[in-house]
Amino acid sequence: MLVTGAVSTKKPMRVPILPERGRLSWFELVLLLVCIGLVVASIPSSLRDVILLSFLFGGLALAWNIAGGYAGLISFGHAAFFGVGGYTSTILLVHYDITPWIGIWFGGTIAGVFGAALALICARLRGPFFILSTLAFAEVVRIGALNWSSLTGGPEGLSIMPTPGLASMVFASKATYAWLMLGYLVVVYAITKALEASRFGYYLFAIRDNEDAASAAGVNPLLGRTLAMALSAALTGVGGSLFAQYFLYLDPTYVISPELSFQFALLPAVGGLGTAIGPVLGSFLITPLSELLRSYFGNSAAGLHLVIYSLGLVVVMLYFPSGLAGALAKLARWRPFS
Amino acid sequence: MSAFLEVRHVSRAFNSTMAVKDVSFAVQQGELLGLMGPNGAGKSTLFNLIAGVLAPTAGEIIFEGKPVTGRKPYEVARIGIARTFQIPKPYRQLSVVENVMLSAFLREKSVAGARSLAEATLADVGLSDYFGTPVGSLTVGLLKRLEVARALAMRPKLVLFDEIMAGLTPTEVGAMTKFVASLPSRGITVVWVEHVLYAIMKTATRMVVINRGEVIAGGAPAAIARDPAVVKAYLGEEMDLA
Repeated sequence: MLVTGAVSTKKPMRVPILPERGRLSWFELVLLLVCIGLVVASIPSSLRDVILLSFLFGGLALAWNIAGGYAGLISFGHAAFFGVGGYTSTILLVHYDITPWIGIWFGGTIAGVFGAALALICARLRGPFFILSTLAFAEVVRIGALNWSSLTGGPEGLSIMPTPGLASMVFASKATYAWLMLGYLVVVYAITKALEASRFGYYLFAIRDNEDAASAAGVNPLLGRTLAMALSAALTGVGGSLFAQYFLYLDPTYVISPELSFQFALLPAVGGLGTAIGPVLGSFLITPLSELLRSYFGNSAAGLHLVIYSLGLVVVMLYFPSGLAGALAKLARWRPFS
Repeated sequence: MSAFLEVRHVSRAFNSTMAVKDVSFAVQQGELLGLMGPNGAGKSTLFNLIAGVLAPTAGEIIFEGKPVTGRKPYEVARIGIARTFQIPKPYRQLSVVENVMLSAFLREKSVAGARSLAEATLADVGLSDYFGTPVGSLTVGLLKRLEVARALAMRPKLVLFDEIMAGLTPTEVGAMTKFVASLPSRGITVVWVEHVLYAIMKTATRMVVINRGEVIAGGAPAAIARDPAVVKAYLGEEMDLA
């Protein structure tokens, strides 16, 4: 590459300590080792549940963040893509005996098509109008799933035979599921990091920050938004398939619920929108917390856990508007000895 | 008769108001055309019509012999027309160099290539010291220079400057005037809307004056300054003070 200017600011390649956009840091590598350690270590089964859910929701939060954080497409309808992914692989397995190892790809693809459709339907909507239409979109999908009983089982849901087997992606050991979910998290994380460092990633930042300027620079905003939503939805769909393989049961009222959609948005908001590490930290903090609160208050005061972490969200929005990742970035700039 | 950019009988109405009324003018390659007119004359509307942000209600715009009327802004950008915004529209969450990289991507597909093109362009407009600066901390003058860098990093054939001098100090105006004057020699044709009249009068090879959406005069800057229609548009009716 021809360096034209007199100033060339090529720094020697070094691995930063704290996360930076588009580069890997020691922080991320150590966090990965900790995650692997948590899978390998012998820990009680109930804790393992929390750990593998934290991985799964970390991946889902990252997937949401591609649309919501990078492209500025705040969606409260991602449960639709989660449901579409889960139902697709499960229907293929239950009705057609197709292994989830293949079904997951179909689930992701069809969820991606739904995502593209949502972006195109809402092409002219911005801000709160866009957000409301994503909510409505998910409701349409939920009602569709409830009524198309021959395919989805309707309100009774769909169950996967709990017989362990590699071909049916059903495992006896929770450790195997933990590996599966960690694998999902790592793949979505790698995609996010690659996106951050790519031209397409920059296009999304531009569309998010100023659509008119992006368009004047030759970027097609509708194409960018559509691809971002499709990618985000596809990855969410894959997460939905993995969820189905773990819980072995799907019903529209839970997997396509607004509550789940809010959860996908909440985790990146707490962790830090538009960063790669943020959604992961958000999930590692919130998922165990919500499981804990649920098990404490689940029977005595159902729904109280939601109140508590909604209050938590308000506090985070007020005092840490850029989330946990923002706090980390502040730490990175902190120079106590200079 | 094959002009580089040709605006042919272009009109644009907003509801019942005609913002641009049957405007025609041509720009030759290598020209530095000044476009002036009082506030609300329709200059920015005209820019938005050329850049594809607005569609004309009537008329045609031809660039290098091909009609661009009805094209989307990003299509217009890709065929070589860049523009700046009167009110700067930076990408708020990106650094200065990243703001310019997004324009550079039009010609340099790799991130590294776009970065070096962006850095070279920023050095051109005197922003070498600000590569990593968040745009939120830039002054108006620096934001205007960033707008210019973003337009030029697209390596355009034609650039539309919309009031790039407003808010600049006299020293900055001097430097920017000299810089804009150098663009035609680098193969970039310029159409320039400016309220800082001494800058544009000194630099433009030709002027077009519009008022209330219509072209009222055109010609060499010196002649324009004496044109009674222009004087009337800016100062109102001649008064007898004696």
